[in-house]
Amino acid sequence: MAEIKDFRFELLMDAGNGAQKAGDILVKTFAKAGVYVFIEPIIPAEISPPKRTPHSLSGAVIRVSSDEISNIGSYSQFVLVEHEILLDRRCDDLEFDKDAVILMDFGNERRAKEAYENVSKRVLDAGLNLVPFSINDDSEAIIKELNGNGKNMYYLGLLSYFFTVDTSIVEIIIRETFKKLPAEKLEKNINLFHNGYSYASSLKQDRYEFPSLIDESEKVLLDGNTAMSLGIIDSGFKLFAGYPITPASTIMHNLARLLPAYGGTLHQAEDEISAIGTVIGSYFSGVPAITATSGPGLSLKQEFIGLSVSAEIPCVVINVQRGGPSTGLPTRTEQTDLFSAAFGSHGDSPKVVISVANVEDCFYVPHVARYIAEKCRLPVIILSDYMTSSSYRVLDKLTLNKMDDIETIQDFVLDRFFMKRLPDTIEMVKGNQDTPGQTGGMRRVTGLNTNEDGFVEYSSVSNQRSHEIRNQKVHHVKDALLEPESFGSQDGDILIVGWGSTRSVIEESVQKLSEKGLSVGGCHLKIVYPLAPMLKEVFSRYKFVVSIEVAYGDSMKYTPFATLLRSETLVDVRGLIAQATGRPLKPVQVVEKVESFLKENVNA
Amino acid sequence: MPEEKKALSMKDLKSSDPRWCTGCGDYTILVGLRKFMVNNQLERENTVNVSGIGCSGRIPHYMNTYGIHSLHGRSVPVALGIVLARPDLNVFVHSGDGDSLSIGGNHLMHGIKKNFNCVYLLFDNQIYGLTKNQTSPTTRKGLPTQSQPSGSMLEPINPIHFALGLGASFIASTADWLGTHFVDTLDKAFKHNGFSFVHVAQRCPKFNPAAWDFQESSWITFLTDETHGVANDAKGAPDAKVLAHNPLDFDEAMKKANGVPDIFGVFYKEDKAVYNDLLIQQNDSVEQKSRDSLLDSFII
Repeated sequence: MAEIKDFRFELLMDAGNGAQKAGDILVKTFAKAGVYVFIEPIIPAEISPPKRTPHSLSGAVIRVSSDEISNIGSYSQFVLVEHEILLDRRCDDLEFDKDAVILMDFGNERRAKEAYENVSKRVLDAGLNLVPFSINDDSEAIIKELNGNGKNMYYLGLLSYFFTVDTSIVEIIIRETFKKLPAEKLEKNINLFHNGYSYASSLKQDRYEFPSLIDESEKVLLDGNTAMSLGIIDSGFKLFAGYPITPASTIMHNLARLLPAYGGTLHQAEDEISAIGTVIGSYFSGVPAITATSGPGLSLKQEFIGLSVSAEIPCVVINVQRGGPSTGLPTRTEQTDLFSAAFGSHGDSPKVVISVANVEDCFYVPHVARYIAEKCRLPVIILSDYMTSSSYRVLDKLTLNKMDDIETIQDFVLDRFFMKRLPDTIEMVKGNQDTPGQTGGMRRVTGLNTNEDGFVEYSSVSNQRSHEIRNQKVHHVKDALLEPESFGSQDGDILIVGWGSTRSVIEESVQKLSEKGLSVGGCHLKIVYPLAPMLKEVFSRYKFVVSIEVAYGDSMKYTPFATLLRSETLVDVRGLIAQATGRPLKPVQVVEKVESFLKENVNA
Repeated sequence: MPEEKKALSMKDLKSSDPRWCTGCGDYTILVGLRKFMVNNQLERENTVNVSGIGCSGRIPHYMNTYGIHSLHGRSVPVALGIVLARPDLNVFVHSGDGDSLSIGGNHLMHGIKKNFNCVYLLFDNQIYGLTKNQTSPTTRKGLPTQSQPSGSMLEPINPIHFALGLGASFIASTADWLGTHFVDTLDKAFKHNGFSFVHVAQRCPKFNPAAWDFQESSWITFLTDETHGVANDAKGAPDAKVLAHNPLDFDEAMKKANGVPDIFGVFYKEDKAVYNDLLIQQNDSVEQKSRDSLLDSFII
């Protein structure tokens, strides 16, 4: 039995066959056994594409480690796959380790002999270790009784055997997960699980064991969108207005169940535009409100974002980025909306953009967004992404802030986003910022330019004044930003700078590169607009600065973040690590790119 | 002894000076709105006028209440946000024919469906005014405009059929120049719980003077009903016909609406579930929790 400290594996099944469910159960088992896990679901953009087609690829990629982890790692070392078509499709993603063990259900060999042989050949040619297996007759019969369901439980049994987990814990979690199933069906699922477990030993393959090292303190298991939903409640938002869009919808689903119990209201709007309009109406009336969307929805909301700027009504928009442009890749990840977020809406419309590095950040970011939005009375855009929103992991129990008004935000939350408190008073275009119901405060707000008294004015002096004051608000935020988080060497040959969900990839690759004796630093930003004022100084400590982004760039086009950093610092930031495949960046890719860059550009 | 509150007067409701063209129907709507507020002694600080973009969109600026002059076609979602946040406020939405039935059609449709509590005024001058004379959704077929110089090509939308078809709970039509009828209609609309849809024939002497012949009244028919309707305006429209109509009768309302835009009065009224009330009831039925327990169900 091999004891493993860091391991990545995946379960691949046709969509609708319950791969994620089985993955969830396994992850909870690992978590209970004291191992850190990170899980990334693979989900098709369609609901139930025809089975036994490449479009039906669905599953869960799971990384298990004895150390805390917050990315999915690089390559899978173990794969359990339902049939050859999915395996063939997944081979295209180039995410299998060169020595990967691949367990493939060959139940359909007879039906698709040729395809099976072709795929097997492809896998064997790649040097992978292909282990065919089948579902035993007893189990086939049970699956038939369950109308074709339950295969995932058999696979769960296999995985539980190979990863040496305590079957009694798995059984408890299965019972909990399927508590709504009729007892008879539930028992059949349990039987399938045990059948898979006993069958696995006949395969004569190595088993793996993970040492449990997690301390005794309380841990939670959360995905990014759930953490964000809980953070919305903890930060005191009382209205969520949303419109369904992948991959942001689960925030609305969570809040539909949770928000009313905490004194809030969930409103499903008729479209994206309406959702932000309702947020603005609510905030104007003194009730903190928030909306969540993804790329196409952000485009639709831009005009209202401009109204928020001009009318000085706070609003907070969460944008869970997916692949773009247009409808793009709804269930894949990209950091592609930096410019739409920072520079969207016509005219000069200053706003603040905050990104999240990981699941914990998702919990705390609504607090910071609300603090800035209300303090400066402007729109704040939160940038999450598909990867962060849908992957989940074990983490230390979060510290509640229980924010009421914005001044009750705790320092540790601001620290997390590398910012200080804002000045007590921040000048507004309009002197009166009263809320309906306040006697004597009657006032009108508008997208037109107004003077200090809040009246429409088209004079050049007044318009220039409004621009200055609106921009000054963002300058106050800039002044409050501390030096961003850094990794590795504080000066030297190369600095890798990134934002949002690439944080742990930066951390891990800087560590690996440093171990190879290279002079490498990392820098990670959470607040990406405005940019921290000392970046130029930080960058000047390195010979080269390269950006890392899950976005498109090439030799004739800088990536968005590189463009932003270049214009801000006039430092030659290169978009060295850019990828828009829809998949997260792998630490090994970064290590390879940086190594070869240094070979070419720095004399050894 | 608490200080006695000064009665609200017309003057108290003045804000900045209106900038509409001479003879614009929006002036009389503004006066009617103030008169209605004075009649009901509505508190200025608890009243919000919301608008979209267009000549109608300027109303909030000229009313000394709270107000949002929002985006073109988007007044309904903003108004809903105010109502959800503060159901105690008096919310009036002011919108034009283009704002309501063209760019804002989807929001109006869903505002009606949600039946949230507000008074919605559709100022219908059958033309785009602020952008200078383009065909609008209610422009009569054949009228030459800047965008359709050989004559507007399509039949106009009938706003009353639109509202009836979507199941609006209160539907009335009035005209800016019929002072008492306008104020009485507003009064009925305000007292109705739900989304009160009020169509207002509005003069645009600059770009569409032929839309409404306000000096002549023989083309007008008033719908009247003692219990649910509004009395005819005998002074403002002496030659108008008067037709008894029971606003509780939907089928009859659909028939009468065939006479739009020459017919004024309360077309339809129904007590229906109100979205903001439903949300409050739903939220009240949920057991309240302390945020201390927020993470409990996620602990492993």
